[in-house]
Amino acid sequence: MTPGVLCAIRGPIMLITLGVLLSIDHFGTVSFARTWPVLLIVFGIFKLAERSSVRSSQ
Amino acid sequence: MKRTSVVAPLLLIGVGVLFLARNMYPDLALIDYFARYWPTLLILWGVLRLAEILFWAATEKELPSRGMSGGEWILIVFLCMIGFSVHTVRGFETWWPRSGITMGGIDMFGESFDYPISGEKATTKAPRVVIESFRGNARITGGDANRVKVTGHKTIRSMEQSGADRANNDSPFEIAGDTNEVTIRTNQDHISGNHRVTDEMEIAVPLGATIEAHGRYGDFDITDVSGNVEIVSDNAGVRLQNIGGEVKIDTRKSDIIRAINVKGPVDLKGHGADVELQDIDGQVTIAGTYSGVIQFRNISKPLRFNGQQTDLNIEKLPGQVRMALGDFTATNLVGPVRLTTRSRDVHISDFTNSLEVSVERGDVELRPGKLPVAKMDVHARFGDVEVSLPPAAKFDLTGTTARGEVYSDFGAPLHTDRNGNGGSVRGSSGGPVINLQTEHGKMTVRKATADDKPFAPEVEAPSSTVTPVKPLQKVEQ
Repeated sequence: MTPGVLCAIRGPIMLITLGVLLSIDHFGTVSFARTWPVLLIVFGIFKLAERSSVRSSQ
Repeated sequence: MKRTSVVAPLLLIGVGVLFLARNMYPDLALIDYFARYWPTLLILWGVLRLAEILFWAATEKELPSRGMSGGEWILIVFLCMIGFSVHTVRGFETWWPRSGITMGGIDMFGESFDYPISGEKATTKAPRVVIESFRGNARITGGDANRVKVTGHKTIRSMEQSGADRANNDSPFEIAGDTNEVTIRTNQDHISGNHRVTDEMEIAVPLGATIEAHGRYGDFDITDVSGNVEIVSDNAGVRLQNIGGEVKIDTRKSDIIRAINVKGPVDLKGHGADVELQDIDGQVTIAGTYSGVIQFRNISKPLRFNGQQTDLNIEKLPGQVRMALGDFTATNLVGPVRLTTRSRDVHISDFTNSLEVSVERGDVELRPGKLPVAKMDVHARFGDVEVSLPPAAKFDLTGTTARGEVYSDFGAPLHTDRNGNGGSVRGSSGGPVINLQTEHGKMTVRKATADDKPFAPEVEAPSSTVTPVKPLQKVEQ
């Protein structure tokens, strides 16, 4: 994947993750207060993927 | 041409559909759905945007540098704020006051620790039992012994045993007061730190007890108590059986309120979902918003129901009433009966004295059944009106529709007239006045036949045994 695509889908993916975590929270299984670090992880994965794809396209 | 996202137009369409749905079915508890399912909107939004970007990428168009614009993020933040406040206001799990975002592992992987609780106090035959506000379930049962006895357990969620022990010591279970008034106190508020405490109590009380209970989250089951029962809770399922006195229930949220066999008056207030009342000897007064299925059976005093969209007054109800979304079905009522509703199809059979129905949107179908027929006054704005009269009935009937067909197979003395877009059906054989009116809809008067059965609302007879206390739902956050 090109860095452009990765960068463009980052926002939507983060949004979907947020939506899923909040849904889980509202259905009472695991609260958002506990699951929020997943957002950081997803963001970090994207940053990593961007780095490596920039490097490979160079 | 500048490429623009499909999300904004879709959002507009979605909002339009929602408002339309609200206008067509005012009874739909849209706010409740929103409070529960709003995170789905975020997911949908993200999926749409993702699909769009992948499509653009596949068709090799120029990609935006960012998937979501700043404006969109601002909108999302607003949506989250609205979602959370509605969620909290509607009483689904209070989210933030009890725990902020937990950092650094505290309460990240808590465990449950159980501690037994018990207490006993001798009382008079008819003490007042007060349960102070707590989180958890209580089952209260009346018995012959003149004492209040509590058994049960306390559950504490904590990271480690020592923290749970400390929380347990901070919240001693107390049973205080004298022989006339007993107070049950769980002291859950005294716990500092991030521990979630719930108490499960089985409380045995003397038969003559009067109960006053306050709860924050959890169910109340009360059986065989001849005094008054008063319950105030933020979120409770309430099941009462064989209560001798007055019943008062005030809930901010509830999944079910059920009362069977109450000798005194019943008074419900607040918000909730399902309501089931059966065999009530006192007057029933309900004022609040109940979004589920509402059922009444065998109520021997007047019933006053004052809801968000529906007002109902019945003098006496030997039969049953069932109100579900968009529907009102009742059979065997003693009038005067008065029903005002925004949007329900109304089916009523076997009623006496007088009946007044006013419906904004919805069909009305009446089968008076018994002779002499009741005086009727029916007004529908959008909806068909159909009345089946027994062949021997005496009445003075006027039925009009401003726009719609008129139909009668009753024969003499009724005759129909067309009049522009509408029409009327009239006739008198010297009996009670029957006045039927619709502004848009069909007007039908039929001769009742032996095949006409009374409407049977599908009232599921509640089981006569009280359900055991369910394990408390997970309330830890």
